[in-house]
Amino acid sequence: MKRLLPYLLLALLLLMAASAAMGAVRLSWDELWRSPVFLNLRLPRILLCVLAGAALSVSGASYQAIFRNSLTDPYVLGISSGASLGAAVAIVAGLQHSLLGIGGCALVSALLTIWLIYRIATIGNRLHSTTLLLTGVCLTFLIAALVSLLMVLHQDKMESIIFWTMGSFSGATWGAVLTLLPVVVLGVLVVLRHARDLNLLLVGSEEAQSMGVEVEKVKKRLLLATTLMISFTVSCSGVIGFVGLVVPHCVRLLVGPDNRRVLPYSIVVGGIFVLLCDTLARTVLQPGELPVGSLTALVGAPLFIYLLYRSKQAL
Amino acid sequence: MTASPMISIQHLDCAFGTKQVLSDICADIEQGGMYALMGLNGCGKTTLLRCIGNLLQPQRGAVLVGGTDIRRYTTRQLARQISMVRQHSHTDFEFSAFETVLMGRNPYQRRLQNESRRDWAIVERCMRLTHTWEHRLSKPHEMSGGEWQRVMIARALAQDTPVMLFDEPTSNLDIAHQFEIMELLSDINRSRRKTILIVMHDLNLAYRYCPSLLLLHNRRIHYQGPMHDGLTPATVRQVFGIDYPFLHRSPL
Repeated sequence: MKRLLPYLLLALLLLMAASAAMGAVRLSWDELWRSPVFLNLRLPRILLCVLAGAALSVSGASYQAIFRNSLTDPYVLGISSGASLGAAVAIVAGLQHSLLGIGGCALVSALLTIWLIYRIATIGNRLHSTTLLLTGVCLTFLIAALVSLLMVLHQDKMESIIFWTMGSFSGATWGAVLTLLPVVVLGVLVVLRHARDLNLLLVGSEEAQSMGVEVEKVKKRLLLATTLMISFTVSCSGVIGFVGLVVPHCVRLLVGPDNRRVLPYSIVVGGIFVLLCDTLARTVLQPGELPVGSLTALVGAPLFIYLLYRSKQAL
Repeated sequence: MTASPMISIQHLDCAFGTKQVLSDICADIEQGGMYALMGLNGCGKTTLLRCIGNLLQPQRGAVLVGGTDIRRYTTRQLARQISMVRQHSHTDFEFSAFETVLMGRNPYQRRLQNESRRDWAIVERCMRLTHTWEHRLSKPHEMSGGEWQRVMIARALAQDTPVMLFDEPTSNLDIAHQFEIMELLSDINRSRRKTILIVMHDLNLAYRYCPSLLLLHNRRIHYQGPMHDGLTPATVRQVFGIDYPFLHRSPL
């Protein structure tokens, strides 16, 4: 069981190579390495997929521990949507060419969303899990409405905003890869450092504290690190749902609940999952493209319903 | 006798909003003692326990552990002084019994450091002591309430603290398992010299197993001292409002 990681890593590399060879423009292996299609389109896109997959999966696994709820992920809680609102505002404000500007705005509005969720879903000093999920869903509706309003009021920028709400890697550039890379590396390192704390948080906040975890400090630090990753991922690729739910769940089936294994596996499996979805999205309907967010949702939403059904049975 | 008490609770006031839960609680808990913390539902037993564990901030007063105010300890340091077992705790995520007990070693481990051989040995010893070693690979849903409660006790033991707090460790257990758990706690108290404080409801069990009593009534300490002096028919009538016949007979 423990030796699975190298194989998964190999699988990811093979998938990256296969994905590079596939696409609307057919290229032989010899031509591929020198072709601008590969260097400027496919390669950054593939790397962006892997980075986004890692960021969303690791964030999902952290959220599930912080909120002690296997049904949460950045998308379900509305954090991704919150980030997309910030991105939309940045575009409307004329920052569409600055990834840092868009990312910064996305970060602010995503943090605001988390704060709102905490304020609404905390009853007494407990976070109520049903209220948490409902709050996330409601905020998602509210934010979708705000984004639609922005689009109608700024029809000239509609297309770029739609891109953010649907989720797509078609706009991948080296600039995006180089912006996202340090953010994801930093975020993932922070989360990995707290892997054991996350295990204890899964058991319960108070229990974690009486076993020596500085709960409030750790939660804040982790929420900041994950929100940073999510905001910049959303800035580069738009809202891609359910990755943070599907990947950690599958990983737990493979390696059990210990976050010291779940997190590293999630990085690799997250990369595989998103890259696979995106490769399908851009090759199935050539030369057209499917929105990658709908593919991940096709897998994620049924899984969410299944998990909900199972937790209902457990009650 | 020891000079200073293991735990000293000094003029503790605690309120939730405008509702006063504890007022002017003063109590000393001697090292190596085994105390039952008793009182009616809602009299603040669990609140007091949480104050001692620094999980709640009192409005006034202080708790000293080993002579030092608990607020002066870091979270990690305090976790090496006090361990806590709650009422049946549950999580969505299924760690095995062994993984669960291993978590008790957290306050001794550095970040990113994995468990050492010593941690593993301590966990094994604690699980053998609580007769949970044969269930080490089991998940919570595969175990009975009593078995899981013993796992939680093993985890607290693995934390290797001089003080152990228990919040109704025998609730939801049948009578046989209640006795088993109390025997185990009594054994831990005697053989490992742990200071133990147990929130409990069962007068018979408390009388039989706990030499000392802390009785809360109307947000205050009603009695503290030896069990057999404190738990008299008159006190029981006054605090619990019942005529409980057990003390007329030799209890159990």
